[in-house]
Amino acid sequence: MKEKNVILEVKDLRLDFRTYRGRVKALNGVNLMLFKGEVLGLVGESGCGKSVTALTMINLLPENAEILGGQILLNGENLLEKSKSEIRTIRAKEIASVFQDPMTFLNPVLTIGTQLEETFKLNIDALKQAVTVQKTKGKDITYLDYLSLKEQPSNKSHKNNKVSRGEVKRITKALCLDILRIVKLPDPERILRQYPFELSGGMRQRCMIAMALARRPSVFIADEITTAVDVTIQAQILHLMRELRDVIETSTLMITHDLSVAAEIANRVAVMYGGNTVEMASTRKIFKEPLHPYTQMLMKAIPDITKLVERLESIPGIVPDLIDPPAGCRFHPRCPYGMPVCQGKFPSLKEVTENHEVACYLY
Amino acid sequence: MKKVGTEARTGEWAARWADFKYTLFLMRKNPLVMVGSIIAILFIALSLLATFIVDPNLATPRGYGGRYPFERRYVWSTNNIINWGPGIALYDGPEFFYLGTDGWGRDLLAMIILAIPVDIENAVIITVGASIFGTLLGALAGYIGGVFDETMLRITDIFLAFPGLVLALVFAAMFGRSIPTLRLAILLVWWPPYVRLMRGQILSEKAKAYVEALRALGAGHLRILFRHIIPNSIYPILVQATLDFGGVILTFSALMFLGFSPTPSLPELGNLAADGYGHMFDAPWLIIFPGLTMLLIALAFNLVGDGLRDVLDPRLRR
Amino acid sequence: MEDQDILVVKGLKTWFPTKSGIIQRTVGYVKAVDGISFNVRKGETFGLVGESGSGKTTAARSILRLIETTAGEVYFDGTSVTTASRRELRKLRRQMQIIFQDPYASLDPRQTVNSMLMETMKIHGIASSRSEAHGRAIQLLQIVGLSEEHLYRFPHEFSGGQRQRVAVARVLAVNPEFLILDEPTSFLDVSVQAKVLNLLKELQDKLDLTYLFISHNLAVVHHMSDRVGVMYLGKIVELADKNAVYHFQKHPYTFHLMAAIPLPDPEARKKEVLLMGDVPSPVNIPSGCRFHPRCPWATDRCTKEEPPLYEEKGHLVACHYDIDFKSGEVKSER
Repeated sequence: MKEKNVILEVKDLRLDFRTYRGRVKALNGVNLMLFKGEVLGLVGESGCGKSVTALTMINLLPENAEILGGQILLNGENLLEKSKSEIRTIRAKEIASVFQDPMTFLNPVLTIGTQLEETFKLNIDALKQAVTVQKTKGKDITYLDYLSLKEQPSNKSHKNNKVSRGEVKRITKALCLDILRIVKLPDPERILRQYPFELSGGMRQRCMIAMALARRPSVFIADEITTAVDVTIQAQILHLMRELRDVIETSTLMITHDLSVAAEIANRVAVMYGGNTVEMASTRKIFKEPLHPYTQMLMKAIPDITKLVERLESIPGIVPDLIDPPAGCRFHPRCPYGMPVCQGKFPSLKEVTENHEVACYLY
Repeated sequence: MKKVGTEARTGEWAARWADFKYTLFLMRKNPLVMVGSIIAILFIALSLLATFIVDPNLATPRGYGGRYPFERRYVWSTNNIINWGPGIALYDGPEFFYLGTDGWGRDLLAMIILAIPVDIENAVIITVGASIFGTLLGALAGYIGGVFDETMLRITDIFLAFPGLVLALVFAAMFGRSIPTLRLAILLVWWPPYVRLMRGQILSEKAKAYVEALRALGAGHLRILFRHIIPNSIYPILVQATLDFGGVILTFSALMFLGFSPTPSLPELGNLAADGYGHMFDAPWLIIFPGLTMLLIALAFNLVGDGLRDVLDPRLRR
Repeated sequence: MEDQDILVVKGLKTWFPTKSGIIQRTVGYVKAVDGISFNVRKGETFGLVGESGSGKTTAARSILRLIETTAGEVYFDGTSVTTASRRELRKLRRQMQIIFQDPYASLDPRQTVNSMLMETMKIHGIASSRSEAHGRAIQLLQIVGLSEEHLYRFPHEFSGGQRQRVAVARVLAVNPEFLILDEPTSFLDVSVQAKVLNLLKELQDKLDLTYLFISHNLAVVHHMSDRVGVMYLGKIVELADKNAVYHFQKHPYTFHLMAAIPLPDPEARKKEVLLMGDVPSPVNIPSGCRFHPRCPWATDRCTKEEPPLYEEKGHLVACHYDIDFKSGEVKSER
């Protein structure tokens, strides 16, 4: 078994939103663990806080958000304690995110080439380093080489060698082409000259993934990237993500409301409900032996084309009002196994079987 | 059974009232808007109460048979109350004028107070008239589309092509010098922007899903346009109308200033300022105070309009 | 046409002209729907699947005549929809209704639920007095699982699932027989989707409704439908029983479509079947068989000859070849 080390860990994250109607207690103690080189599927329905968690990681929260406690550890360092400029650097070089609708996240008046180059240039030092390495090696540098350069600390000698603007420009272009090839976009030369509106939805999504990869992130956050796309394109994107995971070993946080998508691509799955993580385990375990009542009922609510059912099992009740959430376990009003203890303190996430954590008083 | 009906109606109104309260709450958050609103409300109150505060008879000009006096000097009055102003020679009464006298020997402060309702009335009538007219035209143009739309647009363009003030001057010269005709002149200049504004809103609302849903339910065009699309499009119009308030007052004042006043001694801010223009160097307050008043009114309504714009933006609500 | 067919669609075409130049000359057409024919039997749920650009949404709107059609005929219960007069159309609107995809956009944000329901009833003259209408409004809300207290709320105070219920209540106010459901649950969470789908099924039984269920979510269509039609670039390429379409498909596109569905089972070892290329747009329709540029089995004949809908024992397929998808071999030619 591969040595697993944790690259991103969220510990007991709590967050409120101040609104006209009151305080929305959006995150109530979220716990996550992303291991290096694997995909963690973050699954939950709307309002569970999965997108908010991701935004907290990169500090893109709206003004009325208030972090009440907890830690987000990237390689051991708490992101919540960083200054604004430090977070900006982290966004540029460590955590890259891709969101649901690529059309609104790509600048419509700039060509793909310009935007991609801009992304590479966020890390000029690395480019300069790449140029010097290329000169010493003698052959053209590929994206994979560029990626491995990240491991090497930037040598003082690299900084001393004068690198011309033209060389940086050339290497950026070469890297752009290479990365477009990696995301399987046909005819990369042409794509660099095109504008976002000239591309289809699937292609735009790939461009966004390319732009994210250009930053050589340690963590890649994909927030509902397959939600708005057709099924065949979704299959292509999932295939791409699988390849990226296997070849480049990106550590990915895959946020989705579609459990089947998580089944396809995630190594491990964390299920969120009402601002908490309620279950976290390997994908296989979550699907074969779901322990938390919410997870169990969610599984039964998904239509499966291999089974014929008359009714889908739905979960009684409605999504909790986060301004006045249920006390204790936020799922207890809808839970068939509700016990008095559930209304007390929130059950903490603990390991029930090997590598399978659940937040429920049943265990 | 009657109870059921009234229950339904009160339910609806309660819901809409809560919605309105939310709008007010949002307005309260911006201090500038609050300031603007307070000033605006003050002015409106003044315009309603003006005739109770100041005796309108004070507006009758003193002087030789109602004509403008030629005396231009400062005189200490005989009863040791100091007043100042060009027309002081005509006045020798007991009261002290806080802002001095104007060229007709009248209390400037009183005149300003009397002028406010005139201006605000104008602003309201013209803005409301122009917006209703322009909005209706724009709504029909946007909804019907086709040749009708194109024709309306061209007509609007023709009006827009002329500089507003010049066109108003032309109309004023054509129609004569009474207050109603002057109002009409400005109204004719003021409606075109509303056509464009409303048309744009209609076009974007027309494409929305709920309109299609209503058509699928069998709703007719009139119902869709007047009960659904127009109420949803009205907010930018409201904002624009509030912002226009100040502009209308200024335009009207400009007309007065250029000499289109029905009577030379009419208490109206622009007129008062025109009066003061002649005394700019020896009695500058005659032009400063009316001007300041115009500025305040325009500013107050501008702030309210800005605030409304921010508050009614559907993306910022909730 | 059999007696039990409530909806008959024959050769329906909806083309949108593209204009250019100063005088707005028509230079071409976007052939969103390019000739579809199918029947929907009373009481069944007919599923229509396809990806973006397939034309299914345009087809739905064409059937209801929310868009004007270019050619073809649509008959509802014997009455022609395509040539109906305004008055006839209004009558038809009582019987044929539609639920839209986006619960956030399909309700007028300035109307309370009460107002919506009352208005609908007023348009069609249902309910003779205010109190009767009020009573019926409450009844409708209860049928869809809401309650009287929801009457005086605005759309923004509801969740997505609740808004869809309001939309259903509004549509039921006119007592329709036929409902087109255009992606009714695409914007809803899984658990909410389950409830709404259950509700729809329940209503179908209770009120004897016929559904045309349109979605790009294949699992949901599988759950709801009896028969399924697959659309691609404006045409139906396969039409059969649900089971046949999902597990014994005959058209290469359908095969790839079904293979792309993610399964909620991490151990389902599927053979990697990837359909290359992008979903095409109806602006540039390929010659011959529309699917040939992406089809792994395309031949010369496919580039030249557009296949008609071949029928084989009630299973319609628009492909020249009979292919065994498991082995990838072409078995015969039609």
